[in-house]
Amino acid sequence: MRISVKPNICQGHARCYALAPEIFQLDDAGYILPGDIEVPAGQEALAQRGVRSCPERALFIVDQPDAG
Amino acid sequence: MQPHAIPDHVPPGLVRDFSYFRSPGMAPTPNGNPQAALSFVHYSGPPVFFAPANTYDGRGTWVITRADDQRRILQNPETFSSYRGIFKAALGEDLPMVPLEVDPPDHQAYRALLNPLLSPKRVDAMEAGARERAVRLIEGFKEKGSCEVMNDFAFPFAVGVFLQFLGVSDDRRDEFLGWADDQFHGTLEKRLAAMRTVVDFMRGLLEQRKREPADDFVGFLLQARIKDRPLTDKEILGIAVLLFEAGLDTVAAALGFDLCHLAKHGQDQQRLREDRDLIKPAVEEFFRAYSTVQMLRTAVKDYDFDGILIKAGDLVSCPTMIANRDPAEFPDPERIDLARDNNRHTAFAYGPHRCLGSHLARRELIIGLEEFLARIPHFRIKPGTAPLTYGGHVFGIENVVLDWEG
Repeated sequence: MRISVKPNICQGHARCYALAPEIFQLDDAGYILPGDIEVPAGQEALAQRGVRSCPERALFIVDQPDAG
Repeated sequence: MQPHAIPDHVPPGLVRDFSYFRSPGMAPTPNGNPQAALSFVHYSGPPVFFAPANTYDGRGTWVITRADDQRRILQNPETFSSYRGIFKAALGEDLPMVPLEVDPPDHQAYRALLNPLLSPKRVDAMEAGARERAVRLIEGFKEKGSCEVMNDFAFPFAVGVFLQFLGVSDDRRDEFLGWADDQFHGTLEKRLAAMRTVVDFMRGLLEQRKREPADDFVGFLLQARIKDRPLTDKEILGIAVLLFEAGLDTVAAALGFDLCHLAKHGQDQQRLREDRDLIKPAVEEFFRAYSTVQMLRTAVKDYDFDGILIKAGDLVSCPTMIANRDPAEFPDPERIDLARDNNRHTAFAYGPHRCLGSHLARRELIIGLEEFLARIPHFRIKPGTAPLTYGGHVFGIENVVLDWEG
């Protein structure tokens, strides 16, 4: 599963980081690091919650793992 | 009631009898719920409307009710400016509140400077001091079996954490509390006097740090450079005063609304006592349900909002408490669900002016609720008393008297 990050939309709410700090990493100012995120296997559900928690909608799931 | 001029470009069908100050539930109301009192706008009338007298000085504003629409406005600071000359209007002193009243592109430079001071990681370092303050206050009234949340806990806690952040000794706490009380709850005259006192205090602190450098907030601002120059005194003052204005009343009100909710909803209180991990999501849900601020912007050019003309010079209000009860964004928005998932609330606004202190604020709320629940047994609103809620420019609550059996 891959997450597309729109760093220019991120405003540093850090809601994703609060849910899953290993998946959503922040810079020293508290904003998301640029670059797409490859979600480690087994953490998809947590990553989805992180994406949906973004008030700005700066995160998008671009690559859903195939069922089965 | 005095008639208020409605600009010619506002279609009569979009004018609505609505005011943060005069709509039902906005005046001081015993046992009120001012946030819920406004959510009717989602179920009747247009999602964007014009309220003819909707500021403390009687100006008309557009009101943007839907979360998606507020996101669109607040993510567009090139069209919707946040410069309002708040201090100039109030005090005749040109002291822009930095960075709130600074528009892009300069805004980014100030935020880049200030963001690291209040980032989630930096807030971790303030946690121990803040927790100690909360514990000391709660232990101070625990044996009495009763407290008034705002005066005994919420305000002294928020002011204490603010002083800790500023690097000012606790000896000044009571003095600060008095200013905060006058500033946020006094008559207009008292408010202005308190604002002046705060500006003077910050100016004094600035002069002192110039003479005696220190490794604290003002010391940091004195060393800082922006666009290859040091900050001016006016900028440093604007930043310090904005933090005072933005960081005390709001945090205290949130604590008041949250503890009032828990006192009135014993099951929610019990759930948090049984599951401490639920406190963090519960704090986010309380931020959603009991948000207190509105973002006020001025259009700097004409804007076509899906066929509605917002003209340059129009005021545009984005009330967080209304977007946070938008049924298109939050399923069953009137229900307070401590474990709500996908809770992308806008208590701290959207866009580049997202509350700079949001991470400290949520930490203060988490600490406040954790320590209160850990130290005070089951509490309720003291019989015969009623919390007083009110709307206005910033929503608030007073007289939250709790009692418990020792």
